[in-house]
Amino acid sequence: MGKVKIKRKSTLIDMTAMSDVTVLLLTFFMLTSTFLQKEPVTVITPSSVSEIKVPTANVAQILVSPEGKVFISVAGDADAENKDSWGSEAIRAEILVKAVQEYNRLHPNNKVELTDADVATFSKINMFGVPFKALPTFLRMSQTEQDKVISDMSRADIGIPINDNKDLTTPNEFQIWMRAIYSSGNDNLQASMKKGEGIAVKADQNTPYEIVHHVLDNLQTLKMNRFSLMTALKTEQD
Amino acid sequence: MAQIEQSDKGKKKKGAQKKMAIHVDFTPMVDMNMLLITFFMLCTTMIKSQTLQITLPTNEKVEQEEMSQAKESEAITLIVDTQRNEKGDVKKDDEGKPINIVYYYEGKPQVVKDEATGNVTSSNLQKETFLGNEGDVQRGIRKILHDRNKQVLAKIDDLKVKWRAKEFHSNKDKNDSIFQARAKEIRNDSTLTRPVVVIKATPEASWASLIGALDEMQINQISRYQIDNINHDDSLMIQAYNRMNP
Repeated sequence: MGKVKIKRKSTLIDMTAMSDVTVLLLTFFMLTSTFLQKEPVTVITPSSVSEIKVPTANVAQILVSPEGKVFISVAGDADAENKDSWGSEAIRAEILVKAVQEYNRLHPNNKVELTDADVATFSKINMFGVPFKALPTFLRMSQTEQDKVISDMSRADIGIPINDNKDLTTPNEFQIWMRAIYSSGNDNLQASMKKGEGIAVKADQNTPYEIVHHVLDNLQTLKMNRFSLMTALKTEQD
Repeated sequence: MAQIEQSDKGKKKKGAQKKMAIHVDFTPMVDMNMLLITFFMLCTTMIKSQTLQITLPTNEKVEQEEMSQAKESEAITLIVDTQRNEKGDVKKDDEGKPINIVYYYEGKPQVVKDEATGNVTSSNLQKETFLGNEGDVQRGIRKILHDRNKQVLAKIDDLKVKWRAKEFHSNKDKNDSIFQARAKEIRNDSTLTRPVVVIKATPEASWASLIGALDEMQINQISRYQIDNINHDDSLMIQAYNRMNP
């Protein structure tokens, strides 16, 4: 009887195919991904059946934290042709200059002075929300410090000050910002704000109406009567 | 696959170097790719947020008067409210859903006040909840709104059947846009009885409950609605309702 020869097989597994698959997946994710924008607070938006998508370009997003602090983020033109003039960074710088000008005109004894470096820093921040007075100190902090400060909701100097002011000759800071955004000079942004797509209000589902109401009221005072509310898609059970 | 095979074409030259099979191990490469994939998967937002478009009335008085001219029989006022505990957190029911209440009255508020105390003794305020459909049956506030907008909804349902059958156009996008335009026409058709909804919210009402109310407008194809501020009578009516129906 001949011995049964057990053929020794190598345990090496060929990983090339696996590698091919992972590279493909990686490419897919890299191309489709849009990164989560940094926001001071994470809010869970309520759900609705509406299927209109939030535009990614030419939109001013107003975030209302559950504590009632208001933050604004502005996205400019995504169009590559306009990128230099009205891209997100360019438009933010423009808005800051306009808003500070307006603030200084209204508060001649309490002027805010910003350097070009401050404006450059500001244009890189996605979501802003500090009172004008605190702007210079805030913009001169390091990025990690800024993140820490802006997500600390217990601080009094965080969030854009807002009140029930109805007189536009003495606008509050929120109204100054919104008007600066509206008149930033980018016609596309202005048009989308007029249509109501360009202003998006985002608030947590448990936030009392009392708090969000402030923002809605202010928008109404500003005659920005058309705007959109950010929601998530409703599931079948709701 | 990852090795380069070298054929010797059958012959073996004497003294030729023994050729080694070149084998590249791809395992670390796969490891790294997997890490990168995980990173991208966790960082991406696949679902874009939805938006609800709303238009608030202007502050000018003229508009207000026009709205109040709406037929009394068509008007319905919703007041949304949310139950909260002492800490201000939203109360949840057994299923973990927040308890949102919606009070409503039809037409003008009819308040009967006690002459002596000024307390509201009765009103036409009623209480409902937000409930989804059960099968094809509407429940809660949706049923009330559905019943009031029956004529529009019946027409839109007919339209939907045609839309599903692609009767308007064979092209999907064109079919959709024709359907949307027709549906809009029906929603704004003044020959039909359509309700005018005024949405109010109590200060404690959660944002979700207000959105829920706006959502019901979308679901029930109601074109005339507005958000208004709650007034003193409304809060008195709610208080009285809760006192009488504990």
